Amino acid sequence: MFGPFRLTNPLSGGLLWKIPWRLSSHQKYRQRQRLRRVDNVVATIDSALAKQGLSTRKLERWKTEMPTEQEMLPKDKYTVFDRKVKKYRKGIHKVPKWTRVSQRVNPPGF
Amino acid sequence: MPYFRITLLRSAIGLPTKSTGVLKALGLRKRMATVYYPVTPDVAGQILRVKELVDVAEVDEPLTRAEMKERRRPDPGYFVEKRGGALKKL
Repeated sequence: MFGPFRLTNPLSGGLLWKIPWRLSSHQKYRQRQRLRRVDNVVATIDSALAKQGLSTRKLERWKTEMPTEQEMLPKDKYTVFDRKVKKYRKGIHKVPKWTRVSQRVNPPGF
Repeated sequence: MPYFRITLLRSAIGLPTKSTGVLKALGLRKRMATVYYPVTPDVAGQILRVKELVDVAEVDEPLTRAEMKERRRPDPGYFVEKRGGALKKL
């Protein structure tokens, strides 16, 4: 009944993993921390290069196109566009390697 | 001359080969490894490629491996007032 070998649907055979359709509040908190960490890295590089009067095209592009964590809507922080899903949004935790990729903007019109 | 202090926090396992290659080029072989590079646009581009995996800070001077290890050493909790050999001579 209890313990590590209890009879549950995932254990009693077959491949059955259940991924909740939305993030928990703690997952959302950690997602915000990750977004902020990336923002900090970009800001550090930007300030270090700016002191020498330098910059790079990639950095400028990131600064113009990508919103920071504070500018993002909750919708964009925790969900992503997917054309195969009803209403075109799915939880960001369904994206492969979602804790290590930057996915911040939507396709035009969404 | 300012330097970037780059520390690898997240591994690039399962990520595209380009991320792995950049980490290899930077000399970051395992998590929590730290390297120092001068502040140049080239290095900035490399960091931007792996920005989700690393922690970056701007420092004035790079530390050697020995210095970094010395800074990690915890406080022993005591200090030596006098050595035993010194007492014998008196």
